[in-house]
Amino acid sequence: MSDSPTVLCAQPDADERAETADALADAGLAVEEVGSVDTLDAALDRSIDCVVTAFDLEDGDGFDVVDAVRDVNPECVVILYTEHAPSDLPRGGPEQVVEYVPRTVPESRERLADVAAMAAAEVTQAAYPVPEAETERLAAVQRYDVDQLAAIDAFDRLTALMTSHFDIDVAFVGLMDEHEERFLACEGANWRTLSREDSICTHTILSDETMVVEDTHEDPRFAEVDALKQLDIRSYAGVRITDKEGNAIGAVCCTDGEPRRYTRTELDDLQRFADEVEEQLLLRRRLQRDT
Amino acid sequence: MSQRRDDRYTFDGLPLNPVEPGTNLLVTGPVLSGAREMGLRLLCSSDADGGTVLVATDSDATTLLEDFERHGGVLDRGRVRVIDCAQESGDLPEDSVSTVSTPADLTGIGIEYSGHYESTYASGYTRVRSGIITLTPLLVYNDDVRAVYRFLNTITGRIGTADGLGVCVLDPNAHEEQVVESVARFFDGRVDVRADAGDLDLRVAGLRDQPSDWTPVGAGT
Repeated sequence: MSDSPTVLCAQPDADERAETADALADAGLAVEEVGSVDTLDAALDRSIDCVVTAFDLEDGDGFDVVDAVRDVNPECVVILYTEHAPSDLPRGGPEQVVEYVPRTVPESRERLADVAAMAAAEVTQAAYPVPEAETERLAAVQRYDVDQLAAIDAFDRLTALMTSHFDIDVAFVGLMDEHEERFLACEGANWRTLSREDSICTHTILSDETMVVEDTHEDPRFAEVDALKQLDIRSYAGVRITDKEGNAIGAVCCTDGEPRRYTRTELDDLQRFADEVEEQLLLRRRLQRDT
Repeated sequence: MSQRRDDRYTFDGLPLNPVEPGTNLLVTGPVLSGAREMGLRLLCSSDADGGTVLVATDSDATTLLEDFERHGGVLDRGRVRVIDCAQESGDLPEDSVSTVSTPADLTGIGIEYSGHYESTYASGYTRVRSGIITLTPLLVYNDDVRAVYRFLNTITGRIGTADGLGVCVLDPNAHEEQVVESVARFFDGRVDVRADAGDLDLRVAGLRDQPSDWTPVGAGT
């Protein structure tokens, strides 16, 4: 298999689809073809970097495609490739933001291929801010993601200590993967993963400052996030953990079901817990490398 | 008249050095006291192959185009296009202007933007400056800020990969500080603007070789 970005091309007419696929392949993309929303749904997975779709499909329209893509791969770039003018398209929901290349411009397939190739390689339609050096950051997460990481007892002990020390509902250590946060240890709840667009840690990893949200209902970034309500996260404090190069690989955090403030002393203590996790991770990585 | 020595974007009459193609700038400051003017001045292009796509959210297209011209923009229907989502439009002045019914319709704005971008590009104006004047209605009309994040990733991504120039204006006093900080993360650089006794000052964060201290802005072109 090549390392080329993968684009999924959805057009109902097989001949037109083949021509579009050829243009996309000529632009250096690995292309998979589908002819309907149903077949697209079956072909979707997180390896897809970009979806190119007609607007009119036999079993739905372009916005049905967008919905299907967002369910499986929320960050994936979707490009509408259609003869419809923008004003002729029905209005989509705000979460359906897409790219659009009209088939009416000259050499539209070549133009589509240019836009798709650039988007598949470099663009995200994520509903959250992405760190500047995301590619390097993800490589760093992989380097630290050694075997048995989730089974490190020290993290369980630390998070248990944190819940009693801060008198909070939940303390956790999370690694921030490409699509979701993965909890290595979680005291007080049984969380395994949380999508990045729902996770407060998505913002924590952007800065070396401690992130405090005293009341999620009062913070416009999080007030509408249903997942936080379902997890009973009303207040939050988190410190990012980084590798030696400064790549943020995850966060050490406290949450509670009630609004809460943190004193300077408490935040200093949280930083010390995070320092401890960082050292443990570094140690495990060295041990793995040396064996 | 500017002389293009390379492919960087230049800013006539402003105390700014050229910026690399693909740069996205956030202009912050009081909208009525300088930030809107600064945004429009950054969008003026004297390049022969320069085009402009504007998203008007806080005034109708006619008003925005008049303001753009007043601040040095050249109104040429082939190279200047507008998406009007200010909800107060009357008759559309020309086919280079389209409407989206509300600033809440981010999907519609995004599609119209891409359509205008492609039309501009297909007309041979391949150095496209794009402006959102201003981001405030988009944030106000969308309760869930994550929809705006997705919109910004999509728009700034296209500008970045197409070697364009993006300019979005935001009044920081109209939003919570956390929102302003998170929005700023989608941009390569931030141009702060302030008005001092009628004179504008600017400073730049996030970009090298730009004035990082408050610097007087000239009277314009």
